[in-house]
Amino acid sequence: MAADPRPASAEARQALRDAMARLANGDQAALEEIYRATRVKLFGITLRILGDQKEAEDALQDVYINLWQRADRYDPERASPIAWLAAFARNRAIDRLRTGKVRGGAVPVEEAAPLPDEAPLADMLMVDAEQAAQIHKCLGALDDRTQGHIRAAFFEGQTYAQLAEGADVPLGTMKSWIRRGLQRLRACLEASEAA
Amino acid sequence: MSGSDNTPDSGLQRDDPMIAAEWALGLLEGEELLAARGKYATDPDFAWRKEWWDNWFAPLTDAMLGAEPGAHVWEGIAARMAALSSQQAPAQGNVIALEARVRRWQWVAGLTSAAAAIALTLLVFAPGNAPVQAPGDTPAQIAAAAPMVATVPIGETGLRLDVTYIPESERMLVAAIGLTADGVHDHELWLVPAGGGELKSLGVVAPGQVRSMTLPDDIASGLNDGARLLLTREPLGGKPAGVDAGPVVAEGDFTRV
Repeated sequence: MAADPRPASAEARQALRDAMARLANGDQAALEEIYRATRVKLFGITLRILGDQKEAEDALQDVYINLWQRADRYDPERASPIAWLAAFARNRAIDRLRTGKVRGGAVPVEEAAPLPDEAPLADMLMVDAEQAAQIHKCLGALDDRTQGHIRAAFFEGQTYAQLAEGADVPLGTMKSWIRRGLQRLRACLEASEAA
Repeated sequence: MSGSDNTPDSGLQRDDPMIAAEWALGLLEGEELLAARGKYATDPDFAWRKEWWDNWFAPLTDAMLGAEPGAHVWEGIAARMAALSSQQAPAQGNVIALEARVRRWQWVAGLTSAAAAIALTLLVFAPGNAPVQAPGDTPAQIAAAAPMVATVPIGETGLRLDVTYIPESERMLVAAIGLTADGVHDHELWLVPAGGGELKSLGVVAPGQVRSMTLPDDIASGLNDGARLLLTREPLGGKPAGVDAGPVVAEGDFTRV
Protein backbone atom coordinates (compact mmCIF):
# COMPACT_ATOMS: atom_id res chain seq x y z
CA MET A 1 0.00 0.00 0.00
CA ALA A 2 2.88 2.34 0.77
CA ALA A 3 4.54 1.93 -2.62
CA ASP A 4 4.14 4.71 -5.11
CA PRO A 5 1.78 4.02 -7.94
CA ARG A 6 3.56 2.46 -10.87
CA PRO A 7 4.50 4.85 -13.67
CA ALA A 8 1.70 3.65 -15.92
CA SER A 9 -0.74 4.32 -13.13
CA ALA A 10 0.72 7.76 -12.46
CA GLU A 11 0.29 8.53 -16.12
CA ALA A 12 -3.31 7.40 -16.06
CA ARG A 13 -3.97 9.57 -13.02
CA GLN A 14 -2.51 12.57 -14.77
CA ALA A 15 -4.64 11.85 -17.84
CA LEU A 16 -7.69 11.81 -15.60
CA ARG A 17 -6.69 15.10 -14.00
CA ASP A 18 -6.33 16.65 -17.46
CA ALA A 19 -9.67 15.29 -18.59
CA MET A 20 -11.37 16.76 -15.51
CA ALA A 21 -9.83 20.15 -16.27
CA ARG A 22 -10.96 19.96 -19.88
CA LEU A 23 -14.46 19.01 -18.83
CA ALA A 24 -14.63 21.98 -16.48
CA ASN A 25 -13.69 24.14 -19.44
CA GLY A 26 -16.63 22.87 -21.41
CA ASP A 27 -15.01 20.10 -23.43
CA GLN A 28 -17.79 17.53 -23.63
CA ALA A 29 -15.55 14.89 -25.19
CA ALA A 30 -13.60 14.74 -21.93
CA LEU A 31 -16.57 13.10 -20.24
CA GLU A 32 -16.24 9.98 -22.35
CA GLU A 33 -12.61 9.71 -21.41
CA ILE A 34 -13.45 10.09 -17.73
CA TYR A 35 -16.22 7.53 -18.09
CA ARG A 36 -13.91 4.99 -19.67
CA ALA A 37 -11.33 5.45 -16.96
CA THR A 38 -13.59 5.46 -13.92
CA ARG A 39 -16.84 3.60 -14.67
CA VAL A 40 -15.68 0.33 -13.11
CA LYS A 41 -14.86 1.94 -9.77
CA LEU A 42 -17.90 4.19 -9.68
CA PHE A 43 -20.27 1.45 -10.72
CA GLY A 44 -18.76 -0.76 -8.03
CA ILE A 45 -19.70 1.95 -5.54
CA THR A 46 -23.28 2.56 -6.68
CA LEU A 47 -23.82 -1.19 -6.92
CA ARG A 48 -22.45 -1.75 -3.42
CA ILE A 49 -24.69 0.92 -1.90
CA LEU A 50 -27.85 0.22 -3.89
CA GLY A 51 -27.53 -3.55 -4.21
CA ASP A 52 -29.49 -3.57 -7.46
CA GLN A 53 -28.05 -3.58 -10.95
CA LYS A 54 -30.70 -1.41 -12.56
CA GLU A 55 -30.77 1.17 -9.77
CA ALA A 56 -26.99 1.25 -9.69
CA GLU A 57 -26.83 1.85 -13.45
CA ASP A 58 -29.39 4.65 -13.21
CA ALA A 59 -27.40 6.21 -10.40
CA LEU A 60 -24.25 5.88 -12.46
CA GLN A 61 -25.86 7.76 -15.34
CA ASP A 62 -26.87 10.52 -12.97
CA VAL A 63 -23.35 10.69 -11.64
CA TYR A 64 -21.80 11.36 -15.04
CA ILE A 65 -24.52 13.71 -16.24
CA ASN A 66 -24.15 15.67 -13.03
CA LEU A 67 -20.41 15.61 -13.37
CA TRP A 68 -20.68 17.04 -16.84
CA GLN A 69 -23.01 19.77 -15.66
CA ARG A 70 -21.05 20.65 -12.56
CA ALA A 71 -17.46 19.82 -13.39
CA ASP A 72 -16.45 23.20 -12.02
CA ARG A 73 -17.22 21.99 -8.52
CA TYR A 74 -14.18 19.78 -8.56
CA ASP A 75 -11.27 21.55 -6.90
CA PRO A 76 -7.96 19.87 -7.79
CA GLU A 77 -6.31 21.60 -4.84
CA ARG A 78 -8.46 19.71 -2.39
CA ALA A 79 -8.92 16.21 -3.70
CA SER A 80 -7.57 13.80 -6.27
CA PRO A 81 -10.01 13.23 -9.13
CA ILE A 82 -10.58 9.63 -8.14
CA ALA A 83 -11.24 10.49 -4.48
CA TRP A 84 -13.65 13.21 -5.47
CA LEU A 85 -15.44 11.08 -8.04
CA ALA A 86 -15.73 8.20 -5.59
CA ALA A 87 -17.32 10.47 -2.97
CA PHE A 88 -19.56 11.98 -5.62
CA ALA A 89 -20.78 8.57 -6.78
CA ARG A 90 -21.37 7.34 -3.26
CA ASN A 91 -23.26 10.50 -2.36
CA ARG A 92 -25.53 10.11 -5.37
CA ALA A 93 -26.19 6.49 -4.52
CA ILE A 94 -27.01 7.39 -0.91
CA ASP A 95 -29.31 10.15 -2.18
CA ARG A 96 -31.15 7.53 -4.14
CA LEU A 97 -31.46 5.29 -1.11
CA ARG A 98 -32.85 8.17 0.93
CA THR A 99 -35.45 9.23 -1.63
CA GLY A 100 -37.21 6.01 -0.74
CA LYS A 101 -37.52 4.59 -4.21
CA VAL A 102 -35.01 1.91 -3.44
CA ARG A 103 -35.81 -0.48 -0.68
CA GLY A 104 -32.35 -0.14 0.72
CA GLY A 105 -30.97 -3.22 -0.89
CA ALA A 106 -27.35 -3.10 0.12
CA VAL A 107 -26.17 -6.26 1.79
CA PRO A 108 -23.65 -6.50 4.63
CA VAL A 109 -20.01 -6.82 3.62
CA GLU A 110 -19.68 -10.39 4.81
CA GLU A 111 -22.71 -11.58 2.91
CA ALA A 112 -22.15 -9.76 -0.33
CA ALA A 113 -21.62 -12.42 -2.93
CA PRO A 114 -19.57 -10.81 -5.67
CA LEU A 115 -21.48 -10.43 -8.88
CA PRO A 116 -19.87 -12.29 -11.77
CA ASP A 117 -18.40 -9.13 -13.20
CA GLU A 118 -17.05 -7.70 -9.96
CA ALA A 119 -13.30 -7.48 -9.67
CA PRO A 120 -10.64 -5.82 -7.53
CA LEU A 121 -9.75 -2.34 -8.69
CA ALA A 122 -6.81 -1.48 -10.88
CA ASP A 123 -4.11 0.62 -9.25
CA MET A 124 -5.09 3.85 -10.87
CA LEU A 125 -8.55 3.60 -9.39
CA MET A 126 -7.26 3.49 -5.85
CA VAL A 127 -7.34 6.66 -3.84
CA ASP A 128 -4.02 8.15 -2.78
CA ALA A 129 -2.19 5.58 -0.65
CA GLU A 130 -1.06 7.96 2.07
CA GLN A 131 -4.55 9.29 2.57
CA ALA A 132 -5.90 5.76 2.65
CA ALA A 133 -3.39 4.71 5.27
CA GLN A 134 -4.35 7.64 7.48
CA ILE A 135 -8.10 7.09 7.49
CA HIS A 136 -7.58 3.40 8.17
CA LYS A 137 -5.25 4.24 11.02
CA CYS A 138 -7.68 6.72 12.55
CA LEU A 139 -10.62 4.38 12.13
CA GLY A 140 -8.57 1.59 13.61
CA ALA A 141 -7.93 3.69 16.71
CA LEU A 142 -11.65 3.66 17.52
CA ASP A 143 -13.10 0.88 19.61
CA ASP A 144 -14.28 -2.07 17.54
CA ARG A 145 -17.95 -1.47 18.14
CA THR A 146 -17.91 2.16 17.00
CA GLN A 147 -15.68 1.34 14.09
CA GLY A 148 -18.04 -1.38 12.99
CA HIS A 149 -21.04 0.93 13.02
CA ILE A 150 -19.24 3.66 11.12
CA ARG A 151 -18.16 1.13 8.53
CA ALA A 152 -21.68 -0.24 8.23
CA ALA A 153 -22.96 3.27 7.60
CA PHE A 154 -20.34 3.87 4.98
CA PHE A 155 -20.46 0.56 3.14
CA GLU A 156 -24.09 -0.35 3.50
CA GLY A 157 -25.69 3.05 3.57
CA GLN A 158 -27.39 2.27 6.87
CA THR A 159 -29.20 4.99 8.77
CA TYR A 160 -29.02 5.59 12.52
CA ALA A 161 -32.34 3.83 12.89
CA GLN A 162 -31.16 0.75 11.02
CA LEU A 163 -27.90 0.62 12.93
CA ALA A 164 -29.72 0.96 16.24
CA GLU A 165 -32.11 -1.79 15.33
CA GLY A 166 -29.31 -4.04 14.16
CA ALA A 167 -27.41 -3.54 17.41
CA ASP A 168 -30.61 -3.66 19.45
CA VAL A 169 -29.91 -0.43 21.30
CA PRO A 170 -31.98 2.76 21.61
CA LEU A 171 -31.62 5.25 18.77
CA GLY A 172 -30.12 7.85 21.09
CA THR A 173 -27.43 5.44 22.20
CA MET A 174 -26.43 4.67 18.65
CA LYS A 175 -26.28 8.36 17.83
CA SER A 176 -24.06 9.02 20.82
CA TRP A 177 -21.71 6.19 19.93
CA ILE A 178 -21.31 7.30 16.36
CA ARG A 179 -21.04 10.99 17.12
CA ARG A 180 -18.39 10.36 19.70
CA GLY A 181 -16.59 8.19 17.16
CA LEU A 182 -16.83 10.89 14.49
CA GLN A 183 -15.49 13.45 16.92
CA ARG A 184 -12.46 11.31 17.67
CA LEU A 185 -12.02 10.50 14.01
CA ARG A 186 -11.98 14.17 13.18
CA ALA A 187 -9.41 14.94 15.87
CA CYS A 188 -7.18 12.13 14.61
CA LEU A 189 -7.44 13.22 10.97
CA GLU A 190 -6.84 16.85 11.83
CA ALA A 191 -3.79 15.91 13.84
CA SER A 192 -2.43 14.11 10.79
CA GLU A 193 -3.03 17.17 8.65
CA ALA A 194 -1.21 19.39 11.10
CA ALA A 195 1.76 17.03 11.26
CA MET B 1 -35.43 17.11 15.72
CA SER B 2 -36.53 14.31 18.01
CA GLY B 3 -35.95 14.19 21.71
CA SER B 4 -33.55 11.33 21.33
CA ASP B 5 -31.19 13.74 19.64
CA ASN B 6 -30.65 15.45 22.91
CA THR B 7 -29.91 12.52 25.09
CA PRO B 8 -27.95 13.79 28.03
CA ASP B 9 -24.44 13.16 26.90
CA SER B 10 -22.05 15.70 28.24
CA GLY B 11 -19.42 17.10 25.97
CA LEU B 12 -21.03 15.92 22.78
CA GLN B 13 -22.56 18.86 21.06
CA ARG B 14 -24.06 18.37 17.65
CA ASP B 15 -22.70 21.38 15.85
CA ASP B 16 -22.52 21.98 12.11
CA PRO B 17 -19.23 20.14 11.61
CA MET B 18 -20.80 17.11 13.27
CA ILE B 19 -23.83 17.31 11.00
CA ALA B 20 -21.48 17.56 8.02
CA ALA B 21 -19.76 14.38 9.22
CA GLU B 22 -23.04 12.55 9.67
CA TRP B 23 -24.13 13.64 6.23
CA ALA B 24 -20.86 12.56 4.61
CA LEU B 25 -21.27 9.17 6.22
CA GLY B 26 -24.78 9.01 4.78
CA LEU B 27 -26.65 8.97 8.07
CA LEU B 28 -28.99 11.89 7.52
CA GLU B 29 -32.48 11.39 6.20
CA GLY B 30 -35.76 13.23 5.84
CA GLU B 31 -35.89 16.84 6.92
CA GLU B 32 -32.39 16.79 8.33
CA LEU B 33 -31.05 15.73 4.97
CA LEU B 34 -32.96 18.47 3.19
CA ALA B 35 -31.78 21.05 5.69
CA ALA B 36 -28.18 19.92 5.24
CA ARG B 37 -28.47 20.24 1.46
CA GLY B 38 -29.86 23.73 1.81
CA LYS B 39 -27.09 24.67 4.18
CA TYR B 40 -24.50 23.26 1.81
CA ALA B 41 -25.70 25.66 -0.86
CA THR B 42 -25.57 28.75 1.30
CA ASP B 43 -22.95 28.17 3.99
CA PRO B 44 -19.36 27.90 2.70
CA ASP B 45 -18.00 26.68 6.06
CA PHE B 46 -20.49 23.89 6.13
CA ALA B 47 -19.83 23.00 2.49
CA TRP B 48 -16.09 22.99 3.18
CA ARG B 49 -16.47 20.63 6.13
CA LYS B 50 -18.74 18.28 4.21
CA GLU B 51 -16.18 18.05 1.43
CA TRP B 52 -13.43 17.57 3.98
CA TRP B 53 -15.18 14.49 5.30
CA ASP B 54 -16.04 13.25 1.80
CA ASN B 55 -12.41 13.42 0.87
CA TRP B 56 -11.22 11.61 3.98
CA PHE B 57 -13.81 8.87 3.62
CA ALA B 58 -13.08 8.41 -0.10
CA PRO B 59 -10.26 5.86 0.31
CA LEU B 60 -12.71 3.50 2.01
CA THR B 61 -14.32 3.01 -1.40
CA ASP B 62 -11.17 1.16 -2.48
CA ALA B 63 -12.51 -1.80 -0.55
CA MET B 64 -15.58 -1.90 -2.78
CA LEU B 65 -15.10 -4.24 -5.70
CA GLY B 66 -15.25 -2.73 -9.15
CA ALA B 67 -17.95 -3.76 -11.58
CA GLU B 68 -18.63 -3.27 -15.27
CA PRO B 69 -21.88 -1.46 -16.07
CA GLY B 70 -23.92 -2.40 -19.14
CA ALA B 71 -23.03 -0.75 -22.44
CA HIS B 72 -26.39 1.04 -22.50
CA VAL B 73 -25.27 3.21 -19.58
CA TRP B 74 -22.88 5.22 -21.68
CA GLU B 75 -25.40 5.40 -24.52
CA GLY B 76 -27.91 6.85 -22.09
CA ILE B 77 -25.42 9.40 -20.82
CA ALA B 78 -24.50 10.47 -24.35
CA ALA B 79 -28.16 10.79 -25.30
CA ARG B 80 -28.99 12.89 -22.26
CA MET B 81 -25.98 15.09 -22.86
CA ALA B 82 -27.06 15.68 -26.42
CA ALA B 83 -30.62 16.51 -25.36
CA LEU B 84 -29.48 18.84 -22.60
CA SER B 85 -26.91 20.66 -24.73
CA SER B 86 -29.43 21.48 -27.40
CA GLN B 87 -31.71 22.98 -24.74
CA GLN B 88 -29.24 25.17 -22.99
CA ALA B 89 -26.25 25.44 -25.24
CA PRO B 90 -25.38 29.11 -25.04
CA ALA B 91 -25.71 29.51 -21.31
CA GLN B 92 -24.12 26.32 -20.03
CA GLY B 93 -20.51 27.36 -19.81
CA ASN B 94 -21.33 30.71 -18.36
CA VAL B 95 -23.58 29.31 -15.72
CA ILE B 96 -20.92 26.94 -14.56
CA ALA B 97 -18.42 29.74 -14.26
CA LEU B 98 -21.02 31.89 -12.57
CA GLU B 99 -21.90 29.33 -10.02
CA ALA B 100 -18.30 28.80 -9.07
CA ARG B 101 -18.07 32.50 -8.49
CA VAL B 102 -21.26 32.64 -6.46
CA ARG B 103 -19.56 30.56 -3.79
CA ARG B 104 -16.51 32.75 -3.61
CA TRP B 105 -18.47 35.94 -3.59
CA GLN B 106 -20.55 34.75 -0.73
CA TRP B 107 -17.38 34.72 1.29
CA VAL B 108 -16.19 38.07 0.15
CA ALA B 109 -19.40 39.95 0.33
CA GLY B 110 -20.61 38.29 3.52
CA LEU B 111 -24.10 38.21 2.10
CA THR B 112 -26.65 36.14 3.88
CA SER B 113 -28.85 35.36 0.92
CA ALA B 114 -27.77 33.25 -1.97
CA ALA B 115 -30.07 35.26 -4.16
CA ALA B 116 -28.26 38.44 -3.32
CA ALA B 117 -24.95 36.81 -4.06
CA ILE B 118 -26.20 35.63 -7.39
CA ALA B 119 -27.46 39.10 -8.19
CA LEU B 120 -24.08 40.51 -7.36
CA THR B 121 -22.34 37.97 -9.51
CA LEU B 122 -24.68 38.60 -12.37
CA LEU B 123 -23.28 42.08 -12.70
CA VAL B 124 -20.22 40.67 -14.34
CA PHE B 125 -22.44 39.79 -17.24
CA ALA B 126 -22.38 42.65 -19.61
CA PRO B 127 -25.51 42.78 -21.77
CA GLY B 128 -23.56 40.68 -24.24
CA ASN B 129 -22.68 37.08 -23.62
CA ALA B 130 -19.08 37.12 -22.54
CA PRO B 131 -18.54 37.02 -18.81
CA VAL B 132 -16.22 39.81 -17.82
CA GLN B 133 -13.76 39.43 -15.01
CA ALA B 134 -14.64 42.17 -12.56
CA PRO B 135 -13.10 41.37 -9.21
CA GLY B 136 -13.49 44.96 -8.10
CA ASP B 137 -17.26 45.15 -8.40
CA THR B 138 -18.74 46.92 -5.46
CA PRO B 139 -22.13 46.53 -3.88
CA ALA B 140 -22.94 50.06 -5.05
CA GLN B 141 -23.50 48.65 -8.48
CA ILE B 142 -26.32 46.49 -7.26
CA ALA B 143 -28.50 49.50 -6.80
CA ALA B 144 -27.58 50.81 -10.22
CA ALA B 145 -28.64 47.60 -11.89
CA ALA B 146 -31.70 47.16 -9.66
CA PRO B 147 -32.03 43.44 -10.10
CA MET B 148 -35.29 41.78 -9.26
CA VAL B 149 -35.22 38.88 -6.90
CA ALA B 150 -37.83 36.32 -6.04
CA THR B 151 -37.50 33.67 -3.41
CA VAL B 152 -39.79 30.71 -3.77
CA PRO B 153 -39.76 28.65 -0.58
CA ILE B 154 -40.59 25.00 -1.08
CA GLY B 155 -43.04 23.99 1.60
CA GLU B 156 -41.50 23.60 5.03
CA THR B 157 -38.28 22.13 3.77
CA GLY B 158 -36.11 25.20 4.23
CA LEU B 159 -35.20 24.84 0.58
CA ARG B 160 -36.04 27.44 -1.96
CA LEU B 161 -35.65 28.57 -5.51
CA ASP B 162 -33.78 31.80 -5.95
CA VAL B 163 -34.71 33.65 -9.09
CA THR B 164 -32.82 36.72 -10.11
CA TYR B 165 -33.46 38.98 -13.05
CA ILE B 166 -31.36 41.91 -14.19
CA PRO B 167 -33.41 44.17 -16.44
CA GLU B 168 -30.47 45.51 -18.43
CA SER B 169 -29.16 42.11 -19.32
CA GLU B 170 -32.54 40.48 -19.95
CA ARG B 171 -31.03 37.49 -18.24
CA MET B 172 -32.66 35.49 -15.54
CA LEU B 173 -30.92 33.12 -13.22
CA VAL B 174 -32.82 30.28 -11.58
CA ALA B 175 -31.00 28.63 -8.72
CA ALA B 176 -32.41 25.37 -7.53
CA ILE B 177 -29.41 24.40 -5.46
CA GLY B 178 -30.14 21.83 -2.83
CA LEU B 179 -33.10 20.38 -4.69
CA THR B 180 -32.80 16.92 -6.15
CA ALA B 181 -34.79 15.27 -8.85
CA ASP B 182 -37.17 12.53 -7.76
CA GLY B 183 -37.04 10.92 -11.18
CA VAL B 184 -40.81 10.98 -11.52
CA HIS B 185 -41.69 14.66 -11.66
CA ASP B 186 -40.30 17.86 -13.00
CA HIS B 187 -41.16 21.27 -11.65
CA GLU B 188 -42.12 24.04 -13.99
CA LEU B 189 -41.77 27.71 -13.20
CA TRP B 190 -44.47 30.18 -14.26
CA LEU B 191 -44.65 33.94 -14.30
CA VAL B 192 -47.89 35.65 -13.32
CA PRO B 193 -47.47 39.15 -14.79
CA ALA B 194 -47.78 42.03 -12.32
CA GLY B 195 -50.93 43.36 -13.94
CA GLY B 196 -52.52 39.93 -14.14
CA GLY B 197 -52.96 38.18 -17.46
CA GLU B 198 -51.94 34.86 -18.84
CA LEU B 199 -49.36 32.66 -17.11
CA LYS B 200 -46.08 32.45 -18.96
CA SER B 201 -43.89 29.39 -18.64
CA LEU B 202 -40.30 30.01 -17.64
CA GLY B 203 -39.45 26.40 -18.22
CA VAL B 204 -38.64 23.36 -16.18
CA VAL B 205 -36.47 23.85 -13.14
CA ALA B 206 -33.19 21.95 -13.10
CA PRO B 207 -32.76 20.52 -9.60
CA GLY B 208 -29.40 21.16 -8.02
CA GLN B 209 -28.38 23.67 -10.60
CA VAL B 210 -28.09 27.33 -11.31
CA ARG B 211 -29.39 27.93 -14.78
CA SER B 212 -29.28 31.11 -16.77
CA MET B 213 -31.75 32.03 -19.47
CA THR B 214 -32.41 34.95 -21.72
CA LEU B 215 -35.99 36.12 -21.46
CA PRO B 216 -38.05 36.86 -24.55
CA ASP B 217 -39.44 40.41 -24.63
CA ASP B 218 -43.04 39.43 -24.02
CA ILE B 219 -42.07 37.74 -20.78
CA ALA B 220 -39.58 40.39 -19.69
CA SER B 221 -42.23 43.08 -20.08
CA GLY B 222 -44.45 41.33 -17.54
CA LEU B 223 -41.67 41.13 -15.01
CA ASN B 224 -42.20 44.05 -12.69
CA ASP B 225 -42.31 44.61 -8.99
CA GLY B 226 -45.04 42.38 -7.62
CA ALA B 227 -44.92 39.91 -10.46
CA ARG B 228 -45.49 36.47 -9.03
CA LEU B 229 -43.80 33.15 -9.64
CA LEU B 230 -45.54 29.82 -9.34
CA LEU B 231 -43.92 26.44 -9.24
CA THR B 232 -46.05 23.53 -10.41
CA ARG B 233 -45.46 19.83 -10.30
CA GLU B 234 -45.54 18.26 -13.73
CA PRO B 235 -44.68 15.01 -15.44
CA LEU B 236 -41.06 14.69 -16.53
CA GLY B 237 -40.32 17.20 -19.26
CA GLY B 238 -42.85 19.75 -18.04
CA LYS B 239 -46.53 20.40 -18.68
CA PRO B 240 -47.70 18.49 -21.73
CA ALA B 241 -49.42 20.63 -24.37
CA GLY B 242 -53.19 20.71 -24.16
CA VAL B 243 -53.30 19.68 -20.51
CA ASP B 244 -53.86 21.85 -17.46
CA ALA B 245 -50.82 22.70 -15.39
CA GLY B 246 -50.19 20.48 -12.37
CA PRO B 247 -50.66 21.47 -8.72
CA VAL B 248 -48.92 24.60 -7.45
CA VAL B 249 -46.29 23.51 -4.94
CA ALA B 250 -44.67 26.87 -4.19
CA GLU B 251 -44.94 30.56 -4.99
CA GLY B 252 -43.07 33.81 -4.46
CA ASP B 253 -43.12 37.46 -5.51
CA PHE B 254 -40.51 39.52 -7.29
CA THR B 255 -39.10 42.51 -5.49
CA ARG B 256 -36.32 44.87 -6.38
CA VAL B 257 -33.15 44.43 -4.37
